Amino acid sequence: MNGVVRRLTPQKLAAAAFRLREIGIAAALGISVLFFAIRAPDFLSVSNWQGIAQNVAIVAVVAVGETMVILTRNIDLSVGSIVGLSAYLSAATFVHHHAAPVPVVALIAIAIGLGLGFVNGVLVAVARVPAIIATLATLGIYRGIDDEITGGKNITAYQLPDSFLKLASEKPAGLPALAWIAIGVCLVGAVTLRWAPWARDFYAIGSNPDAARFAGILVRRRVITAFAISGALAGLGGFLFAARFPTVDAVAAKNFELDVITAAVIGGVNVFGGVGTVLGVALGAVLVATIQDGFILLRISEFWRLFFNGFAIVVAVTIDALVTRRLQDALRRRRAEVRAARHREAQA
Amino acid sequence: MKHRKKLGLAALAAGVTLIIALAVALSAGAGTTKRQAGYKIFFLPKTTTIPVFTQNSIGAKRAAKELGDTLTYNGPTAVTGPAQVPFINTAARQGYNAIVISTPDGNAVAPALKRAAAKGVKVVSYDADTRPDSRVIFVAPTANSLIGTSQVEAIGKQIGYKGDIAILSANVTSPNQNTWIKFMKIALKKPKYKNMKLVKIAYGNDEPTESAKQTQGLIQAYPNLKGIISPTTVGVQAAAQELQQEGKCGKIKLTGLGLPNDMRKYVKAGCAGNFALWNEQDLGYLATYVAHYVLAGKLTGKIGETFKAGHLGTYKVQVSDGNKPVVVLGPPLVFTPQNIDKYHF
Amino acid sequence: MTAKGLAGRLLGRWETLLVAGIVGVGIWSWTLSPFFLTRGNLLDLVTPYVFVGLMALGLTFVVIAGEIDISVASTLAVSVVCFAQIFAAGVNVWLAAVAGLAVATALGLANGLLVGILNLPSLAITLGTLAAYQGLAYVILGGEGVASFPTSYTNVGGGYIAGNQLPVALLILLGFALVLGLVLHVTRFGRYLFTIGANREAARFSGVPVGRVRVTVFALSGLMAGIAGVVYVGYFGSARADAATGSLLDVVTAVVLGGVDIFGGVGSMLGVLLALVLVAELRNGMQLANIGGPTQDIVIGVLLLAAIVAGNLLRAGRTSGFFPGPIRGLRRGVIGRQADEAVRPSNVESPESGR
Repeated sequence: MNGVVRRLTPQKLAAAAFRLREIGIAAALGISVLFFAIRAPDFLSVSNWQGIAQNVAIVAVVAVGETMVILTRNIDLSVGSIVGLSAYLSAATFVHHHAAPVPVVALIAIAIGLGLGFVNGVLVAVARVPAIIATLATLGIYRGIDDEITGGKNITAYQLPDSFLKLASEKPAGLPALAWIAIGVCLVGAVTLRWAPWARDFYAIGSNPDAARFAGILVRRRVITAFAISGALAGLGGFLFAARFPTVDAVAAKNFELDVITAAVIGGVNVFGGVGTVLGVALGAVLVATIQDGFILLRISEFWRLFFNGFAIVVAVTIDALVTRRLQDALRRRRAEVRAARHREAQA
Repeated sequence: MKHRKKLGLAALAAGVTLIIALAVALSAGAGTTKRQAGYKIFFLPKTTTIPVFTQNSIGAKRAAKELGDTLTYNGPTAVTGPAQVPFINTAARQGYNAIVISTPDGNAVAPALKRAAAKGVKVVSYDADTRPDSRVIFVAPTANSLIGTSQVEAIGKQIGYKGDIAILSANVTSPNQNTWIKFMKIALKKPKYKNMKLVKIAYGNDEPTESAKQTQGLIQAYPNLKGIISPTTVGVQAAAQELQQEGKCGKIKLTGLGLPNDMRKYVKAGCAGNFALWNEQDLGYLATYVAHYVLAGKLTGKIGETFKAGHLGTYKVQVSDGNKPVVVLGPPLVFTPQNIDKYHF
Repeated sequence: MTAKGLAGRLLGRWETLLVAGIVGVGIWSWTLSPFFLTRGNLLDLVTPYVFVGLMALGLTFVVIAGEIDISVASTLAVSVVCFAQIFAAGVNVWLAAVAGLAVATALGLANGLLVGILNLPSLAITLGTLAAYQGLAYVILGGEGVASFPTSYTNVGGGYIAGNQLPVALLILLGFALVLGLVLHVTRFGRYLFTIGANREAARFSGVPVGRVRVTVFALSGLMAGIAGVVYVGYFGSARADAATGSLLDVVTAVVLGGVDIFGGVGSMLGVLLALVLVAELRNGMQLANIGGPTQDIVIGVLLLAAIVAGNLLRAGRTSGFFPGPIRGLRRGVIGRQADEAVRPSNVESPESGR
């Protein structure tokens, strides 16, 4: 009896629950692919999957950053505006400095995003504005700044250097360059969340902020970092966005935050905070893009796509909440049994 | 606790009563508008964020300067009719003599325009018409039927008059888009185009990103697609870029209404064939002249009236495609690989 | 001085601030343009934002109860398109409007069941329904628009009485503000909301039917969105699926600026009404000054932030402020509060930190 109870530790239960979540997404992905492959003739073609990879890439990059924020039990609604602003500024840099090296402009875009994200972080962590309100406000403010800067004009593709536009058309080893970049970002993100001590703090803060503070974690600093990273990756996302959609105007990436948050929530990032992995988010982004692509091939009205996004969020949150609740109940029962068993042992 | 609640409730009741009293007091009587030396014209585009309208405003401001009028160019960021209503209302309140408007939703702005007209403001529409009962004259860029036939012919010639084609439009509710599409469908019925089939009308909402995604969707969902018509400057440019990115230039032909500067690169790369437009600056210029003459009483919207619009020459008020009264800027300007370098806008 | 007495003082102070703000913005607007003080302008100040105000009134109930509902604008859109389709099918316009209201209430009810019964986090759920409902609106009506409503109907949102100057919509807003103010501050239901917002578990133990009240409050929010839709269509005379896009920022600003504590438990209907007038006045002033649309959005966004920061400062002054601010803010954030209670019901010991 004791042996059985001791083997099923709370940690093992939690780990099992994580893997269950990712297995769940993978299963859903597999089912969707099967479904669409049967119904739509060109679904399994190489060019179709290259298209899916293109669309997933930018969402995935920004979603990694959003994940960090949600892990700390916050949310960042302003990523769409940051992407739009960064996209325009990246393109504008190329217009004024035609020979600028591509990596340098990428760094500029990341820096811009970092700054904007930092502002979000300060609003939430220092001014104590709830994240939903703060980023709703900055969503409007950053978009407004974008509108002002563009001044009713746009930047069109012919103004941009080919070295930059190549990012969106090259397909090294058959996979679009943007997808390679996204994979790189995901790997770095996954490694960071797993091994970097300051990143592991995100999980602690999200699970139980008071305990985190008592454990000596600098909560304020970590939260600002999370928002700054989210902003930086949104900045990078904007840079890639401008390569993919080189005609950049003031409405670029409007409502993009919804795609990002959908990917994260479907990917198992729990809005309660403290739960989520990069693998899950990446799978979530692929799942969303796959289903949307399937819709296009099946010629389903694109109006259903928006509904699907929202519906998926509601379903994912419901499942997660019920699963989390089950897990917590199981944990509590397990701990009570362990205590009861130890008590009996002590008395024996 | 009860005391605070009573206080709060009393304050609410007092506040509401005060506001009602103020409102009733104010409604006793009518407002007035002032008249000034030069006319005050409010130029209201669908949105200030699309470059085409910025081009319109350049011509409009030039015309205003020539005529000695003051022109204000402002508009919403959202491309909806309701977003324009506050601008119409304040223009009327601020004593503007005329509103020159291009709207994505004629029905939504009609009540506000009528209220403005009741205050003595003259309404002239341009580019995209409002409801005819809410404006004096409509300034059309070109004859709608001409756009329909020339666009179909342009794509037909490129694809050898055989194959599936699609249209990439702007907003579903856009009146001029729908009119042009209507004329395109009529043109397609001619025996010359009997081997061409219109398989889909996609809507890019005049957004580059959405237009690119719609183009990608067309390419994926219709593997036999031979040609795309995109009668919107945002759409045709996004489609060309998307075709280039997907490596489909030449395999899928493209025509539409576009700005020569935007399209030059693609035409030279073979991603787009002949396309057309008109001079957007001239359109704003002409619309402002029309508004001025309406205010001066020289134009009333009667069919047959003529006037001179600065450097553009003489124009006549006419019926165009069943719509009236209309002033038409001119026939569509066709851009080809040979002549495209001559134009710079 | 008891905490409640102090709170009463604070409430009074906030509304005074708002009135001062209204007067201040009024003076600013007047210096910008002499047309501000014209009868027509003053009367019509709030009319284009009446639908925003109606949504804000409904949202106030939700926020006081400690939740949030960001799907209100989307609910308005669905309600509007259902109404339009039913009307276009030949049904009498008033019956169609009632049908629209029923749809809106049902959508709010759906939110309420998910949040109130299943105890799901309202932020995440209404974020999902924001998208789902908006998508539904497009599915129902596509991109088209329905116009040609009879004038008897458009007079509701867009009509004027008393010599063509007094907007009907304004009277509707004031009427609802009064009625809802009564509900909030006088009825037992309203009291329940404040109690639940302050401390849900304590409310449960005091015998408040927490589940039922939470479900009802979301249904109410949905209903108000529907009523806002009725006024919206009346005013613009046109029903489209993209109705009220972009209005969420103004709605939330009106609620927060109105002194409603985003953490729940504090707020007044008068404050929200005054805040709406202030927002409308500010937008009108910017319009008169020919300030571009984008800059207007920036200003409203900054205003929203300033309102919260000001509220934080006042609250910190009121209570002891012993613990470092950010921790409490984080802990009691809209998400955090629900997570706390979902994960750690107060009759069981806390789980270990980290997972």
